[in-house]
Amino acid sequence: MKNLAKKIISAVMAITMIAVACVAFSSCSDAKKNYAANNTEFYIGASGPLTGGAAVYGMAVKNSAEMAVEEINAAGGINGVKIKFVMMDDKHDASNVSTNYATMYEAGMQISLGCVTTAPCKEWKTLSYEDGLFFITPSASADIVVEYDNAFQMCFADENQGTTAANYVNENVSETKIGVLYKSDDAYSTGIFNKFKSTLSSSKTLVEASFSGETVASFATQISQLKDCKFIFMPIYYGPAAQFMDEAKNDVAPDAIYYGCDGLDGIDTSVEGFDISTIPQEVSYLSHFNSQATDGAAKTFIDKYVSKYGKETLNQFGASAYDCIYAIKAAIEAAGNKIGVTSSPSEIGDVLKGIFGGGFTFSGVTGDSITWNKNGFVNKSAIKYIVKEKNS
Amino acid sequence: MDILSILINGLNVGVIYAMIALGYTMVYGIAKMLNFAHGDIIMVGGYAIYVFCAMSGSLPMFFGAILISVVVCTLLGITVEKVAYRPLRGASPLAVLITAIGVSYLLQSLAQIIFKSAPKRVAVPDLGKIMIGELGIKVSTLITLAVSVAVMIALSCFIRYNKIGRAMLAVSEDRGAAELMGVNVNKIITITFAIGSALAALAGLFYLLQSPYMTTTFGAMPGIKAFTAAVIGGIGSIPGAMVGSIVLGIIEAVCDAIPAVAPYKDAVEFSILIVILLVRPTGLLGKKRREKV
Amino acid sequence: MKNIGLALKKIKWKHYVNYVIVLAALIVLLIAGASGGLKASTNELVLKIAISIVLAVSLSIVVGFLGELSLGHAGFMCVGAYIGGKVAVVISEKLGGGIVTFLISLIVGGLCAAVCGFVIGLPALRLRGDYLAIVTLAFGEIVKVIFQQSKAFGANLGFDTLRYDKSFRQNFYIIALILVLVTLAVTQNMIRSKHGRAITAIRDNEIAARASGVDVTKYKLIAFVVSAFFAGIAGVMFACTFSTVQAPKFGYNYSIEILVMVVLGGMGNITGTILSASLITFLNVKLSTVLTGDLAVVKDLVYALILVLIVIYTNAPAFKTFREKHNLKAFTLRIFKPKKDPSRIRDDEAKWSNIPTKINMDELLTVDLKVQESVQSPDKGGKNK
Repeated sequence: MKNLAKKIISAVMAITMIAVACVAFSSCSDAKKNYAANNTEFYIGASGPLTGGAAVYGMAVKNSAEMAVEEINAAGGINGVKIKFVMMDDKHDASNVSTNYATMYEAGMQISLGCVTTAPCKEWKTLSYEDGLFFITPSASADIVVEYDNAFQMCFADENQGTTAANYVNENVSETKIGVLYKSDDAYSTGIFNKFKSTLSSSKTLVEASFSGETVASFATQISQLKDCKFIFMPIYYGPAAQFMDEAKNDVAPDAIYYGCDGLDGIDTSVEGFDISTIPQEVSYLSHFNSQATDGAAKTFIDKYVSKYGKETLNQFGASAYDCIYAIKAAIEAAGNKIGVTSSPSEIGDVLKGIFGGGFTFSGVTGDSITWNKNGFVNKSAIKYIVKEKNS
Repeated sequence: MDILSILINGLNVGVIYAMIALGYTMVYGIAKMLNFAHGDIIMVGGYAIYVFCAMSGSLPMFFGAILISVVVCTLLGITVEKVAYRPLRGASPLAVLITAIGVSYLLQSLAQIIFKSAPKRVAVPDLGKIMIGELGIKVSTLITLAVSVAVMIALSCFIRYNKIGRAMLAVSEDRGAAELMGVNVNKIITITFAIGSALAALAGLFYLLQSPYMTTTFGAMPGIKAFTAAVIGGIGSIPGAMVGSIVLGIIEAVCDAIPAVAPYKDAVEFSILIVILLVRPTGLLGKKRREKV
Repeated sequence: MKNIGLALKKIKWKHYVNYVIVLAALIVLLIAGASGGLKASTNELVLKIAISIVLAVSLSIVVGFLGELSLGHAGFMCVGAYIGGKVAVVISEKLGGGIVTFLISLIVGGLCAAVCGFVIGLPALRLRGDYLAIVTLAFGEIVKVIFQQSKAFGANLGFDTLRYDKSFRQNFYIIALILVLVTLAVTQNMIRSKHGRAITAIRDNEIAARASGVDVTKYKLIAFVVSAFFAGIAGVMFACTFSTVQAPKFGYNYSIEILVMVVLGGMGNITGTILSASLITFLNVKLSTVLTGDLAVVKDLVYALILVLIVIYTNAPAFKTFREKHNLKAFTLRIFKPKKDPSRIRDDEAKWSNIPTKINMDELLTVDLKVQESVQSPDKGGKNK
């Protein structure tokens, strides 16, 4: 009988523990409840990789957005109301996004920057569409991210970049042999590459080289494939790009041109120990931000960011996030009293998507006179930055 | 791309895997445990070189950096063995494996806190290439090859002729009997981990000589690939580790050279591993283990 | 009354503990969600825990009961998620986005994963120990790469799963917990049957099992197939919970996370596995939400440290006596100290401390026995005196 008693008591204990735990963190809820009803500040939320391999980008967004929010709050906020910015870590894993989203939403999130990277942003777009939550992402660049009408991008979409790069090559580059180095397990790189390949004129021959994985032991194979090309297109990020250029500097012709997209920004500043002047070739990229800018809004941003956070996390993700916060501020001010601090996310979303898709113009660090179309894609001029001229 | 340059590219990568695999196979053969933290000891060695090279820049200092990295890794390996693996001597091998994984995560998160996740270029000297006609072989590859062959021969001789080496062989064959014969098993296993970690430090050095870019996940995938190579060659067998690594390196180079296959490189490597294991269940040069009731 | 008492005694209550725990959780959640449904964050947490439990319990069949190290469990889940998800998208055009679609995709996903389990079980017949581990790891990676590069499943952008009807999604946690119960039922019943005995016999000594007539091939394959089937089920649940399935998620890191849950729970102990899977998932989610920003890295460090400490504590032979004195069983024993009536001694009970007349052994042993001088020591040479 005592064994039985023990069993019953342990079962009861287990049930009680679970019951207490469950009751502690759950409550009845209404799907349409406005969690922002008690807000005293505008709650802007974001999710990004703050740890793991992509942490450099997540931290850039977090630092820049926080800097922008601090400046705005110090100047009195938006229409007198301060902003609260919260960014949660998703480790570049789409399955963490729903938890982050739910946590922030229930804490009163009204507007958001979405996610920093594409794959998690796909989850965010579905969730935010159902709640009508507006988001403008600084860097999730796949075209499908802005599928729904509550979504906008501050960065160039991948397909757009691929097309623009291909048109540039078709019009300006006289070489017929065009080399490409892309990362085959990355959505950004393959997205741009596929569009580039299909838009490239048939008079050019494409030499493809790819790599995969977070670390590359050696680019020897890729270098052997690309070394005869005088124009190498690189829709990849600055880390692997720097490694490739370094390893290839004696193999690729000294008058070859390396040409990349916005991912190359930071190649001269953000890889510690890499001195781009040791690369004999010309390096340039098409982007909306140049971390070596010497004047204008970009320079002001760079100075402020570097003095506060250092150079290691300075890249276009941060600049874009800085602009996103200011763009939201401008849009809310343009909305007047249609948006208040206790407005629900869907009310704010309705107003903001109308504003952004309806001819709103914004000038910031990553562009002058930026506009958006109704589909969420950004319209701004892509500037070709020459990071480094070829050594003569 | 011609066959010869593919072979040389394969050699580039294969010799690095060989250095890593030698350490793995040694520890596995003698202590009978899969040291998942091996790849992260390589990373620690790499960061040690980075820190020391950042402080100074000249060539003699560079040799000093190598020495410091070897010392740091050896001490780390011994500490990890004493603190995390020795208490579990006699427990189920799965528990030891999980601890190794925990140590691996620990090292990676420590590295991320200290060094952040931005890629860093380590100031190792650039050794250039030797040209044989049209083909260029990197000097670093030749050095790595020479060192790994030397290590392989040295280890084989050590195990056969040196007293401590023979004790290691005894421990790997039958730990209980070795203990009865008066072998200090604890000391032997500590020495094994020390040698394995020193080899890991050298592996990190050669990796950096190949391409001097470091991140905190620097050792993880090469560790897995090197372990695959060691299994292909027959785990526990030192020449097997060399053979398996070169084979794996060449397979990788072949896959990379064909643009349509390149994204599937990992799948191809692992499929070949499975096929080899099906045909020879203990790897190419592995010993057949007789199982007794 | 006595009959009921006897009947109650005959039931092996400890076999039902797991069901009771899960049912209790389900009931509590139903009550909490009765008015308007669960909060979204709670819903996510419950679903993640359910998926983890299914994965951990299915892995424990191979790791805990068959004794083989499997590092490719996430690969089976990947197969289930992608194929089950694809089937759901395809048939939802005809059958809508409700429970029927889900059940069909569940069965298809599970069966495909089971086929993969069979395929992995075949090398398992020839390979031992760490070689099998690397083969399972290889399999997981191969599956991941194939799905990541296939355009039919979305390539690098990932696979967009079916967005089920809102009412289905709000109550999905009930179905998830029922699936957990089904997993538990199948696993526990299999382990307690002759199949389970055969499987544990193979774990303990394969050659002896073979010599005793156990069909090793059949039972190893059964273990792998059942384990893979439930991993596939977990994959389909995953595809139902999230709107995008990304192949890099199912790498060896995820397989190792599940392995950690199984090992921490105690191998071969299903209740422990359930509790450790729930606890680890819960901690992961809660710590992520609490530690935002710069502290996020600290969480990884703390997690790794706790993992190492717990594994050493629970498995080190040196701590064994300490553990036995201080674990939950000992605590409950101390609370419910059974009072033994010294007059009720069974004849075959050899408990010296219960004998009413205590002989003080210590006293006996301190008596001095003097050695007599005349006793001769044995001769070495063989000469007698």
